[in-house]
Amino acid sequence: MSKVKVATVWLEACAGCHMSFLDIDERIVELLEKIEIVYSPIVDGKKIPKATVGVIDGALGNDEEAHLAKEMRKQCDIIVAWGDCAVFGGINCMRNFSDRECALKEAYVDSPSTVNPEGVIPREDIPHLLPKAIPVDYEVDVDVYVPGCPPDADTILWVFQELLEGRIPKVPSEKMRYD
Amino acid sequence: MKDITLNIDGKICKGTEGDTILEVARSNDVYIPTLCFLEGLTPIGSCRMCVVEVENNPKMMTACTTPAQDGMVVSTGTEKLRDYRRQMLELIFAGRNHFCMYCSQSGDCELQDMAIAHGMDRVRYPYLYADFENDATHRDIQIDHNRCILCLRCIRVCAEKVGTHTLDLQKRGWNATIVTDLGRKLGESSTCTTCGACAQVCPTGTITLREFAYRGRRKDCDSVVESVCPLCSVGCRIKAYVRTGSIARVEGTAVNEPDGGQLCQKGRWTLPRSAERERISVPMIREGSHYREATWEEALDLVAKQFRKAHEADSDGVLVSSLCTDEELGLFVSLFKDGLGMERIDTFDGDVLRGFVKGFEPFRKQGVRPFTAAHKILDSDCIVNLSADPDEEAPVIASYIRVGVLRNGASLVNISCSPSPFRDITDVDAVTKTPAENIRLIEGLAGMVEALKATGGDPEKTVQVTAAEVAEKAGLTEEMVVKILGSLMDSKKPVFVLGGCLSRDPATVAASVNLAIACGAFFDDGIGMVPLVVSGNSLGTINTVLADEPWLGKKKLDFMYVYSTGLVPEDEASLSAISGSRFVVVQCPFWAHPLVNLADVLLPAPAWFERSGHYCTIEGERRRLSVVIPPKGEVRGLASVLKDLSKDLGVTPEKPKEAPCGNLFASEKPPAAARMVSLEEVRD
Repeated sequence: MSKVKVATVWLEACAGCHMSFLDIDERIVELLEKIEIVYSPIVDGKKIPKATVGVIDGALGNDEEAHLAKEMRKQCDIIVAWGDCAVFGGINCMRNFSDRECALKEAYVDSPSTVNPEGVIPREDIPHLLPKAIPVDYEVDVDVYVPGCPPDADTILWVFQELLEGRIPKVPSEKMRYD
Repeated sequence: MKDITLNIDGKICKGTEGDTILEVARSNDVYIPTLCFLEGLTPIGSCRMCVVEVENNPKMMTACTTPAQDGMVVSTGTEKLRDYRRQMLELIFAGRNHFCMYCSQSGDCELQDMAIAHGMDRVRYPYLYADFENDATHRDIQIDHNRCILCLRCIRVCAEKVGTHTLDLQKRGWNATIVTDLGRKLGESSTCTTCGACAQVCPTGTITLREFAYRGRRKDCDSVVESVCPLCSVGCRIKAYVRTGSIARVEGTAVNEPDGGQLCQKGRWTLPRSAERERISVPMIREGSHYREATWEEALDLVAKQFRKAHEADSDGVLVSSLCTDEELGLFVSLFKDGLGMERIDTFDGDVLRGFVKGFEPFRKQGVRPFTAAHKILDSDCIVNLSADPDEEAPVIASYIRVGVLRNGASLVNISCSPSPFRDITDVDAVTKTPAENIRLIEGLAGMVEALKATGGDPEKTVQVTAAEVAEKAGLTEEMVVKILGSLMDSKKPVFVLGGCLSRDPATVAASVNLAIACGAFFDDGIGMVPLVVSGNSLGTINTVLADEPWLGKKKLDFMYVYSTGLVPEDEASLSAISGSRFVVVQCPFWAHPLVNLADVLLPAPAWFERSGHYCTIEGERRRLSVVIPPKGEVRGLASVLKDLSKDLGVTPEKPKEAPCGNLFASEKPPAAARMVSLEEVRD
């Protein structure tokens, strides 16, 4: 039997969800007998290839992230939203309570650790911020939601196992967390 | 009350007419999720989590507010209900900032628990991202309106249990927020007493106490110990949360207690903060201007030597805290009074207590109990504040008074030498210029009420004294006296709160009881008097260490043994008498200045959270103080220290006699059998 192709992408988030995935420890060996990671921050790949499962970690905060989410949706049959950022928007939503310019100014000019006497806010050759940081399902359809900051390693593994069994899982209360 | 029977999820559930569906379900162990509901507070059905389906009723009903009816068939967990509840939760999450990862209460949050229990793996509604204020102006309490779900528990507890009405609601719909004092910041509030009850009931991270916010979630604590607050005579039950050997937070027990499960500003902060105070961890002996560490053996040898010498010269005294437990007081008595035959033993607030004891004595002799449980204030329709300042003396009593007046419609009369501490809610504020006028007023009122009652309330027939005469004697206007009389005569069950300062004159105490008897202030457990007797176990000292007559400061003593719990500062008079003694032993858990500066020998003592025993509270109950954290290091329990000391002194103390306040709450006769007494009897 050929392995199930899995793509994972790290959008606006810390690396926590991928770290939590690696926290399944030695069970990854067994898992990798059944899946092949074709695209991920932990493998080398320039373009998102066709895959059965596409995992999105992180919210959508700029137009590149929105583009990647759409690419994932196009290339993958099943989209999994990993973690609070992908599911709810998470910590990125802190900027949603004020406007975009405010966030840029805070990041590039006003923050205490920044030295930027001219007050330059870079705008060219970098992705543009969306008006608000948004959960993945604001932009593309999501099939499986796995909240948690990060989700427990066991929950992440359980979701893969369910998918391998051909089911679309819904995380039960006892495996769910928000922080 | 009629019994009713409901069918809830196929289970036959018994209840009583007047119960809500939720009450019947809970008493029959049927779970219905709730969020805004909190036992003891008026249910408002605002969160809609408790919706249930009732047969033949097209609408979903909130179980917490819907009265149960006989024969009702109720479903609590249908797919429709689960879906509806989840939608409610999603709407709450979409409404404000409920991102758990940056909230101090994550993991200790009822909203989070509820959402997880309902499998909320996403929010299907658009987030509003509305920005609300985070009110961080108060030193101890923070209100982050962004986390608020408008359950209104805080508003309800503030109004219904604390009675300050500091918190209320402003604006409408999504923009509604909790508001302090009609729009002030919490830190600028003139009504907030900093009791922290609002934070205790808050189900989310909206109202938090800075001090406890990051010291461990309730769930992560290793143990929760029920104990009693030793600070004042009310003796509120407390829960102390312990994490890795330290106290992470202290809370009131439950809102269905008469005190509303609240703690006052004293208990809420003093207790946990005391666990951080610097301890006296080993015995110390003074050498010139400093102390050196010593072994228990050496320190107790020195104490015994000085003690024996002074005792032979009849120049020794013992002063112990009234925050000691019954058991500790029993130990002191068996060594110092019974063993050594000392008469100079007393408690710091002895003068206050002696006043109460002497004033109450003639009534106790009649076989009635001259006081009632403090929470009976809530049952009264007329509260008379006699020179008390409850917010200072026993803040939970102040809550009872405010709730009694504002919620239960009681009238409030202040008879005192100073203006009413409840300025805005006092109906009659009778301020006399001198204590002498004060007692004449109370005496005059008692006479008039007695006469008026005897003549069926017709003032024309009142022969003995007139309001004008009483007013003249008390230096008040006649109109004022008539107003007080009106309140007292209209009342079916008045209650009298006696301030500690009054007790310095036992005649005033007796006069107050006379007035209560004349007014018919009879409760099932005693006459309607609530004496503010200072500290946690003041009542327990009455039959134990309390001296019959004051001796402190009358003679320069050669030896003084002082046992302090270090929680409340000692009064000036005691301190000056202690400092006048030649050799002073201080046993205290903390470096409590200035007391410890006076010591020649310092002995460690267990702190309130390291001791166990019982307190006699003015709530009319013996309540248990429990060990929250076991003592560490050289700290030894009182029993073992006194045992060694008595060995050194060459006495064998007997086992402590009966429980100190064993008969304190007893009465042979119902309160209505009490007779008024002549004040001359007390003055003699």
